[in-house]
Amino acid sequence: MTNETTRYKEILLKGIWHENPVAYQVLGICSALAVTVKMSTAIVMSLALTLVTAFSSMIISSMRNKIPSNIRIIAELAVIASMVIVTDEILKAFFYDISKQLSIFVGLIITNCIVLGRAEAFALANKPLDAFVDGIANGLGYSLILIAVAFIRELLGAGECLGYPVIPSVIYDAGYQNMGLMLLAPGAFFIIGLLVWLKNSISESKK
Amino acid sequence: MSDKKFDKNSKKNVIQFALMLSVICSLLITGAASGLKHFQQENIKLDKKANILKAANLIKGDNKPAKEVILKRYQNHIKEVMVNQEGQPVKNKDDNVLQLYYYHTNNVIDGYILPINTKGLWGKIQGYLAFENDGQTVSGFSVFSHSETPGLGGEIENAWFRKNFKGKKILNSQNKFVSVGIAKGKVKNLPKNLQDHYVDGISGATLTGQYLSEGIKSTLTKYEPLSISFRQKSLKTLEK
Repeated sequence: MTNETTRYKEILLKGIWHENPVAYQVLGICSALAVTVKMSTAIVMSLALTLVTAFSSMIISSMRNKIPSNIRIIAELAVIASMVIVTDEILKAFFYDISKQLSIFVGLIITNCIVLGRAEAFALANKPLDAFVDGIANGLGYSLILIAVAFIRELLGAGECLGYPVIPSVIYDAGYQNMGLMLLAPGAFFIIGLLVWLKNSISESKK
Repeated sequence: MSDKKFDKNSKKNVIQFALMLSVICSLLITGAASGLKHFQQENIKLDKKANILKAANLIKGDNKPAKEVILKRYQNHIKEVMVNQEGQPVKNKDDNVLQLYYYHTNNVIDGYILPINTKGLWGKIQGYLAFENDGQTVSGFSVFSHSETPGLGGEIENAWFRKNFKGKKILNSQNKFVSVGIAKGKVKNLPKNLQDHYVDGISGATLTGQYLSEGIKSTLTKYEPLSISFRQKSLKTLEK
């Protein structure tokens, strides 16, 4: 029992920090650029990706003894894509407003390398429950970076936090201006680069 | 002994597995798509009505009231009408007929709402532009569907962008038609005589703004005869 919990703990820690999908595996960069202009979209995307990674990893892992190795990537993609499409249809039918907010992000999940990466690297070789925890862990690791990037971009680019203005107008009157660069893709590149540097130097110094 | 063992890489299993997976996945997706279609279309219809109300300022801000409230307000205040090229109301629907909505209080027309259907940066932008009954003052704008970049061009559907349309004029001081457009940057940086015809642009979404400005202009040109009849005050109450 204790063995089990330590194992899950290890998987979680690995996904969130040591082998963080964005900062260490360098996966999911495209969506990290696209959805981090505002915190609210970043949070929704994080949530959706975490759930999809967890469940698709679990399903693929439970079929791992049946999936022929020469068509495994197609099989994995079929599972992931079907799951995302069905989720999208359900959202459109019962949670229309949320689905409108998510717009293209739901479709983007299919192409997110993290989902396929975890299926390939972990789910095919491990038990379903472990794969599920691994999916959650990597989803959270992705969320961590995504929300951090979105926070910085929204704060510097629009002077807002979760849509609420946080920079007092006194500062604007004194000549402060929002940084337009932060709203564009290059701003995200710089911040992700800096965060990867930060993460790796912390990990390095701990060794 | 070993020939009895299950071999997942045998040709037979590859084909079997691929077939089974495709059948299951396609059944799942078709099932979900067709089974939920009814609910989805209901939602889309309701959302359209909500956005027509938003354009006419009968729903304020970004919030969305309950379904019953939307339907009741729509029934009480909105009337769908069709007019011909000259702006005269017609009954029969044919190719040259223009579709629009009146918003009214107790059959007195407060203004009219035009459907905007234009190309955006990534896909179609569909929305509504409402005018007061003087035929030249914009009273509101709303977006029903778009595929612009969220956080950039996608901001066109949010209240902060939409509310800037209120009070803008489509006629200049010489009473000539100039349409209303999206500025590049802030309106306060424009020359004084243009400020009435532009709304604040979105930084990082210049192209979305351009496409939307063009779309609004071409729609307004098409509906100009109707706007003229409003300016001449010939339309005041709903016909019974």
